[in-house]
Amino acid sequence: MTVPAHMDNLKAEAVTIEERSPFQVVMMRFIKHRLAMASLIFMILIFSITIMAPYITSFKVDELNVNDYFRPFGYVDEPTGRVHYFGTDNIGRDYFSRIIYAGRISLTVALLSVLISETVGIVVGAISGFYGGWVDSILMRFVEFMLTIPTLPLLLIISSMLLRNEDLIPIPEGVLQVVGNIMLLSPKDARSAVLIVMVLAGFGWLSSAQLMRGTVLSLREQTFVEASRSLGATDVWIIFKHMIPNAMAPIIVDASLGLAGFVVAEAALAFLGFGIQDPIPTWGNMLSATQTYMFDKPWLPLVPGLPIFICSLAFNYIGDGLRDALDPRLKL
Amino acid sequence: MTAYLIRRVLQSILVVFISAVASYVLLSFAPGGPLAGLRQITQSSRFKITEEDIARIRASFELDLNLPIRFSRWLVGAPKGPITIGGKEYFGDMVVGCRKPIEAEVLNSRGVLEVVVVGCKEEVLLKDIVGRRTSRGILFGDFGLSWRLLRDRPVSDLIASRIPKTLQLIGLETLLSLLIGIPLGIYSAVKQYSKFDYIFTTLAFMGQAMPSFFFGLLFILFFSIIPKGAGLPYLPAALSESIRNYTIPLIGDVIAGSAKDRLLHMILPVAVLTILNIAGWSRFIRASMLDVLRQDYVRTARAKGLSQNVVIMKHALRNALIPFVTIVVFTIPGLFGGAIITESIFSWPGMGRLYILALGDYDYPVAMALFFITAVLTVIATLLRDVVYTIVDPRIRLT
Repeated sequence: MTVPAHMDNLKAEAVTIEERSPFQVVMMRFIKHRLAMASLIFMILIFSITIMAPYITSFKVDELNVNDYFRPFGYVDEPTGRVHYFGTDNIGRDYFSRIIYAGRISLTVALLSVLISETVGIVVGAISGFYGGWVDSILMRFVEFMLTIPTLPLLLIISSMLLRNEDLIPIPEGVLQVVGNIMLLSPKDARSAVLIVMVLAGFGWLSSAQLMRGTVLSLREQTFVEASRSLGATDVWIIFKHMIPNAMAPIIVDASLGLAGFVVAEAALAFLGFGIQDPIPTWGNMLSATQTYMFDKPWLPLVPGLPIFICSLAFNYIGDGLRDALDPRLKL
Repeated sequence: MTAYLIRRVLQSILVVFISAVASYVLLSFAPGGPLAGLRQITQSSRFKITEEDIARIRASFELDLNLPIRFSRWLVGAPKGPITIGGKEYFGDMVVGCRKPIEAEVLNSRGVLEVVVVGCKEEVLLKDIVGRRTSRGILFGDFGLSWRLLRDRPVSDLIASRIPKTLQLIGLETLLSLLIGIPLGIYSAVKQYSKFDYIFTTLAFMGQAMPSFFFGLLFILFFSIIPKGAGLPYLPAALSESIRNYTIPLIGDVIAGSAKDRLLHMILPVAVLTILNIAGWSRFIRASMLDVLRQDYVRTARAKGLSQNVVIMKHALRNALIPFVTIVVFTIPGLFGGAIITESIFSWPGMGRLYILALGDYDYPVAMALFFITAVLTVIATLLRDVVYTIVDPRIRLT
């Protein structure tokens, strides 16, 4: 074996490779996906706008301006000097304010649905995959059963029934209060939003449970689990310390694609008239309302429609970027 | 294989049964229905509606029967009366419902007055329902009578009048999606990283993120409203044929109900459905094709000097289409269930629109029938998918 001539140089080169944590690696890979990064920045912007809704908008959500119907973009409200940036709707409500408040409600509904469905999915999937046997059989048969039912027709039945019968399912006052505070709604109005979240999450957890189960099944056979077990770890410890953190990558991707799905699903229900109803603004019911007037005001559907599409697209790009970034086999 | 099939069929029947029970129970608890207006009428004194009238109306909608009995009559058309074995009647005195419930207003936990049934003045016995009008049961193809949309006419009439419209729409859409989507996916995969591939994947990605209701409205906007306003040729955007004759610039006079009229009405909804469908399908084909093109047998085929066409169309495509089968099968429920959202936007008088109308109008027999049909078809499609998959891909073993 010959000794390299420039030993010193080689050494210097070897030392210069930075040490990076897995998180840093993923971040660097994610930043390289330009569209995903742009989408992320865009969504952060949208979220901050909706969080600051009361400070940005100069009109209240349900503030009616009699005789100021269908004012054009940038119309100035004479007595107060406030500007209707996007004009007003058919009963003189400020479009811009409603869009922003609607965004707050629509995005919160999507976020809560994702949160609940992923949490339930993770727990059910982890238990099912980890224990196997009859637990797995029962849980997964149930999931498969639910997935064979056509989703949209059933969603429509359930939400039409729940919305007409709001008292049927008791929801703790505290939950309504919290959700109401997030969405800037009264607890009474928050009820329909909570119901929609329940309906959406009630179906959403199925696929995440399947995903989680698959990941846990392969993780269960890994050596580090065996090692942990031989050190006397309990099932709960292994599930929470080893299974769930290691299975997070696909779940994170699923969650971000799920956000896109829930934004669209909520809007679709509202659009068809089976979601959150009119005085409460959501992008879906605002879009539905513009249908009646689009013959005279062709630009009207674009105002609530574009946010739905752009958010859906952005969440999809973020999910795509995360999938690439989190996949260690993929070279970028 | 046979054992597997039998097990799967049994499972499917169970799925259909449970979803029928679930949706029936859900809709039974929903307020509204044919009696919604009655309560207000009885409270005003202008009309004298006696208790007897209400009992009769309740009976005509079978609302006086207990839920399990009502469900069983709806599902299989039984029981029709006491069971007769050897000339003797059994269970004739069994209570199956309540003709005149005692109602009371009770304050519920949230401080709202609620009408609650607290007892029964007059019970319905099994022998009382002999000779009552009943359906033969939804399982035997009798969907009962419509409550609202076509009052007291069979639901099956209503559905039969809608099926051809949905079949037209979804049939054409599926055909076009296959004809356009598959070649697009193949071409994009074969020319991976080309300019075409780049544009195509971007557009397809957007198409998948695009909500169909917004896309539909955009189409109405850009192909119907704006051109019409500008005096350019435009496409009609609502219904499946127009009521009055109309004139379109360049295309000329169109007679209402003519073939030309119907064709023009079809273009927009079919285009919306097809484009969105192509976005999903061709992306799938592309991914599947890319996967196959990396396989050893494709390399072998190339190595032995086969032309590019033969390699792609014969060796690669056939294998790439295997997973695609599982997706195409799911157009079957759509063929009859309709595209709920798109049909609603374009007021297309198909099954999807009917479903929305029925749910909105409290016409539960119609909604239930449509849901039941879709559920059955979805289950059949799932079963078919698994069976077809094993036929086209011999590597998969059934367990």
